[in-house]
This record gives sequence, structure tokens and C-alpha cells, in this order.
Amino acid sequence: MILRKVINRRRWMKGAGSLAASFGVIGARARAKDAPLRFALTPVLLTSDLVMLEALKAYLAHAMGRPVHLVSRRTYQEITALLVTRQVDAAWICGYPFVVYRKELALVAVPVWRGQPLYQSYLIGRADQKADTLADLAGTVHAFSDPDSNSGYLVTCAALAEMGQSPGRFFRHFFYTYGHRNVVRAVATGLATGGSVDGYVYDVLREAEPALSADTRVILKSELLGFPPIACPAPEAQSPTIIHLREALIAMPSDRRGREVLAMLRLDGFSNESPELFDGIADKMNLVRGVPL
Amino acid sequence: MMLRRLPLTARVPLIVTLFMVAVSVFTSERVLTRLADTQERHVQALADAYVDGLALALVDSIIREDIWQVFDVLDRSRDKSGDIRPTETIVAGPDDFVIASSKPLDIPSQMKVPARYIASLRENGRIVIAEDEQKAYLHRVVRYENLRIGSIYASLDIAPLLAERRSVLWTLVLTNALLTLALAGAAWFIMGRMMRPITLLTGHLERSHAGAVASIPDEIVAKVPRDHRQAFAAYNRLAAAVADREALSARLAEEERLASLGRLASGMAHEINNPLGGLFNAIDTLKRHGADRNTRNVTLDLVERGLKGIRDVVRVALVTYRAERDQRHLSRSDIDDLKCLVAPEAGRLGVLLQWRIELTNTVSIPATVVRQILLNLALNACQATPRGHCVTISVTETLVSIVIRVEDRGPGMPASAIAMLIDGGDRPAPIGQGTGLGLWMTNRLVTELGGNITVSGGSEGGTAISVTLPQRREKEFAHVA
Repeated sequence: MILRKVINRRRWMKGAGSLAASFGVIGARARAKDAPLRFALTPVLLTSDLVMLEALKAYLAHAMGRPVHLVSRRTYQEITALLVTRQVDAAWICGYPFVVYRKELALVAVPVWRGQPLYQSYLIGRADQKADTLADLAGTVHAFSDPDSNSGYLVTCAALAEMGQSPGRFFRHFFYTYGHRNVVRAVATGLATGGSVDGYVYDVLREAEPALSADTRVILKSELLGFPPIACPAPEAQSPTIIHLREALIAMPSDRRGREVLAMLRLDGFSNESPELFDGIADKMNLVRGVPL
Repeated sequence: MMLRRLPLTARVPLIVTLFMVAVSVFTSERVLTRLADTQERHVQALADAYVDGLALALVDSIIREDIWQVFDVLDRSRDKSGDIRPTETIVAGPDDFVIASSKPLDIPSQMKVPARYIASLRENGRIVIAEDEQKAYLHRVVRYENLRIGSIYASLDIAPLLAERRSVLWTLVLTNALLTLALAGAAWFIMGRMMRPITLLTGHLERSHAGAVASIPDEIVAKVPRDHRQAFAAYNRLAAAVADREALSARLAEEERLASLGRLASGMAHEINNPLGGLFNAIDTLKRHGADRNTRNVTLDLVERGLKGIRDVVRVALVTYRAERDQRHLSRSDIDDLKCLVAPEAGRLGVLLQWRIELTNTVSIPATVVRQILLNLALNACQATPRGHCVTISVTETLVSIVIRVEDRGPGMPASAIAMLIDGGDRPAPIGQGTGLGLWMTNRLVTELGGNITVSGGSEGGTAISVTLPQRREKEFAHVA
């Protein structure tokens, strides 16, 4: 208890000193005892699944012994901004913003899917379409998930960069749907000819909502890349809150409520990983930015 | 024109039907027009609400030309339930290039809005109903700060409204048809009821034309509606009057026959009386000079001739009146008998008779009737002809008829007498002054045989009457007789 108080005071002092005054007020409230854990989620998840969000919230509150406040935003960018500016304690973000803000952020835990903390990006098209490669989609309308998404944007951009292309020149038109599920919808309805989507979300959708993805098929799968992680502001990496959160996440498979949440997420669990897991994404970012490897 | 030829019992229901059809067409047209107006307002209101909602939700997305946001809103609003659903919605930029449509496969983004929308929708915000496509089209310009930032085009499925309209039409048609049928049926039934007494009366009147004027029994009259009773009573009074007249006519005819019989009888008496004086003289002579053989023979011869004359007269009279209903065919001997019958009357009146008979065989015409006709005409002619002049009577035969011609030297027949002779038979018997009854009877007899009568001036003054009587085939003849 004493230790926590000391740390808290130190944190408070540091926070008040390093952040703008406006944030300081919020920070002060956040430091109060029994203040809720502010946990943000990107639309990486199936945003329609409110039941899952409630269950996750209930589990975290139970496991951490304090109220949990879940924060949702439309874009990755907003979530990343909340996290970088420390308006939330932790957030489930994409690997791409994580490597972009590599210095400001630290890993809390990485989800384990099909036995490993890795996933793929899928290039999808309509089921009746002939395309077999990305090149076949030249001159079509393309749906991206989010400009800050690895699987829903960066992977395809990197592939185009390898071909000496960019989305603006390669596609007739492209747009962002701000949600992997929406990419599937856009391709299924014919609004877009092709789409870049999170392989994990796509596979879960195939199972959970077969009708939605029935009219689509996977044209191309990327190599395995780091799964969208749960990150926190780097200065908080060793804070009791984050440590506690990490423990709660990693302990999920051993708790009944935790298993229920994992079942809904179709995840095996969470693991403690090193940031090097996301080097593949960093390479792609550098490729797109035109920085030689 | 056609309508006038129909009986009243058909005409009234037909008029009712035509009237009802006219009323039905008019009311149906009004109802359907009003329904269509109401539905159009309904569709307009729904379309307005739909497009208004979209426009509000889409302003930002249109400005940003955010394909996904526009599509997402359209896609979600499509799930709206209700009887009128939008089938297609297109959101376009100010240049009418599609930002997104609710059916991207048919109407892809970045393409020009299909011509079918542009062409039919010139007026902003006003729906256009395309009944053949079962759709309503709408175009709404989306403005932001008075700037035209884009357009929303929508097509609505109005099939349920059209189905409702059809169902209303069918309901109207069926209801009106049933109503028309019921009213026409009622009109037919009522007219039938109303016309029944008239039909009954007409039937009786028509039968009266054929001869039998029978009065309508009281129990039937009692059942007739009050309005018609007066007519029935009048008819019954008429029937009674006609029956009285018929009876009177029959009696008069009988009297006339008796009268002519009387005239004949007096002629016969004269005919018998003439030889009687001679016979008595002969008997006187026989009494006084019977011993003389020569005288006796001459006298007996005289007596025999006298008696023969009397016998002939008696026989003719017997044949004529005993054979009242004889069905014999006419033969020459009948005419010869008539000669004997008429001769005494002619002698009494001092008229000469000139006969010309061209009958060879029997003719298939009832003898007694012809004898009656000829007797009437001959006696009439004798009466009309002044003393010392001649009456010419001819009977000639053609293949199909016989022609009787009687020509007198009289002063000519009065017009009323001619009329009575030619077509007096249809009228009641002339009652009152005795003249004309013989002519009337002659007409009836001739009509009975299917013949005809013509009257003209004689070749040497006076009057010539021609009667043509057709010969009958056996079957018909038996019936007539």
C-alpha cells in the first residue's frame, strides 16, 4: 500500500510536470483510488459485438478488482491519440500504430490466435471474381479498413510499393470503411471490387456471420505478422495498473469468465511478447515510406 | 330504336342495368381517382420522410464524397420495414456522378446516374409514378448553406399500393355487378308482376278478335291489383255487350232466313196455286166429260203435268232445307234447284232471269253454303231490278275456284250496302232497320269459304256483284264444312 502511494505520488508529480495542465486534471482524477481503468478498443474487433464488450469489461473489473471504463472510437487514429496522450490507461491497437509510436508505447500483452501471437492480412474479392493476385485488381474500386491499420491498409500498400505503385495510382478509386467487418460488407455488396482485411476478423466472421462473407473469397494471404497488441503509454509500462492488467489478461484462460470472453473472441489467450514481434510490420512501414531496408 | 321493340318487362331491367353500369363506372372512376391521389400523397409523404432523413444523415458524407459512409447509411436504411420500401437509392455528387448507391453491383460508384432517373425526374422533390414498373421515382437536391452539394435519387416499390388499388377496383366491380344484377332482377320481377294483368287482358282481347269474347272470371279479377280492376270490369262489360250482340245477330239471321223462307214459301204457294186452278178445272172437266176417252186422256195428262210441277217444287224445297248441314259438294243440280227456287219470286216481281251455268262436274265447295249465297244475291237482284227487266246470273268454273256473277238493272247499290257486302262481316250484325242483314250474312258466308266479293257497275247499268270462291282440298273442306 505504501509503495503504491509512493509510486502514485511520483507518477502524479511526473504527470503534472510532463503533460499539459488540462490533462493534469483528468490525470488527477484517474489517480484517485478506485478510479476506473480506462481501456480503449479499436474497431479491430467486431464492433457489433456489444455482448462481448460487456463480458470483457465484466471480466477485467472482476480480475482487477476495480471498475473498468471501455472507450470506443471510430478510427484507429483516435484510439492511438487517446493512448499516446495518456487519456486512457491501455488500448487494444493495431501493430501499425504500435510501430509508428514505437518510442511512446509499450506492450501489455499480445493475443494468441491459433496457438501463436500472429495473424495475416487478407486480400479479398467477390466470390464470382476471377482475380488471383493483387495485380488483377488494378483499376478497380478498393476498400481499405483504416489508414492506420496494418492488415487493412499497410500490407496492401507495401505490396503495391514493391510493384512501384501506390493506391491512388493503382486503383481507380479507394475508400476507408473504418472497420474490417465493413470491408467485408463493401466487397460482398459490390461497393468495392476488392478489400484489404484482417485475416483474424475475416475468419471469425466466416464462422460467426457466414451470410455476410458468403459472397466473398480470399484472393491472397500475407505472411504472418504480429497480432494487434494491447499497448500502454511507455512511461506506464511498469505501473501496477499495467502489471495488474497484464496479469489479468494472461490469466484469462484459467478463469471461467475469461474463457467465455476468449471464446467470444475466438482467441486462445494472451501472452507477454517482446516488441520485436512487430518488426515485420515496421519493415513494411519503412517500405511504404520509401526508406530503404 | 332497338329498345322500343323490346317488351316492357325486358326494357325496364335493361334500363336499370344501363343506369347502374353508368353509375358504377362513374363512382368507380371517382373512387379510384381519389384513391390514386391519396396513395400518391402517401407515397410522397413517405418518400419525403425517407429522403429527408437520408439528406440529414448524408450531408457531411456527401461533402466528403465518403463512399463508405454514404453506402453504410443507405444499407442500413434499407432494412426499414413498411408497405412502401425504397428499392434503389442513389446518392450523387453535384456533377451527378454516383457517390454510392444501395445496389453497388447495378449502379456502381464513380459512374453517371442512370438515364432512367435523370430522364423521368425533372422536378425537384416531386415523385413520379411509373405504374408499369410498379415504382415511384424521386429526385431530391441536397443543399448545404445554399450550395448544391449533391442529389439523392430514390425508387420506391409501390407494388402493394397498386395491388390495393386493383383489389379496390375488383371489389367495386364485383359489388356493382352484384348490385346491378339484383336491381335488374328486381326490376324484371316487379315488371313481370305489374304486367301480368295487362298480359291477361291482352290475351283475352286477342282471343276476342279470333271470335270468342269470353268474360274474365270474377275470382281472377279479384286477384288483380286495384289499379287494373277498372280495366277488367270494362272488359267484362264489353264482353257481355258483345255476347248480347252475337246472340241478337244469330236471332236476326234466323229471322232473316225465316223471312226469305217466307218469301220462298209464298212463291211456292203461288207455284202450287197456279196448277191447282187448272187441276180443279181438269177435275171439273173429268166429272162432266169423263166419259169421253179423248177428253179424259187430255185432261189426265193435264192433271199429271200439274201434279208433276207441284212435286218438283216440293222436292226442291225439301232438298234445300233438309240439307241444311249437308256436306255435299256443289254440283250443277244445285244451281238447277236454285233456278226453280228463284223463278217463282222472279215471276212475282216480273223480272226476267237469265242463267249462264258453266259447271261441268261437282266442285269441292260446300253446296249448301253456295246455294245460300247465290239465293241471297239472286233474290236481292230481283228486288232491285224494275219490272220487265232482266237479271243475269252466271256461274263459271276456273281451275282453282268458281266465280258467281249476279248483274241487275237496278238503280245501283248504296255505298253503305256495298260496304256491308264487302267487309261487313267483321262488324256486328246490322240491327234495327231490316236492310243489309242479307248482305251481311252473304259476306260472312263468303269469308267462311275464304272467298272474296267485288262490286262494280253492270255492263248495261245497274250493279254487278262477283263472288270468287276457292276450291278446297278435301281435308280442309271437311274442316270448313
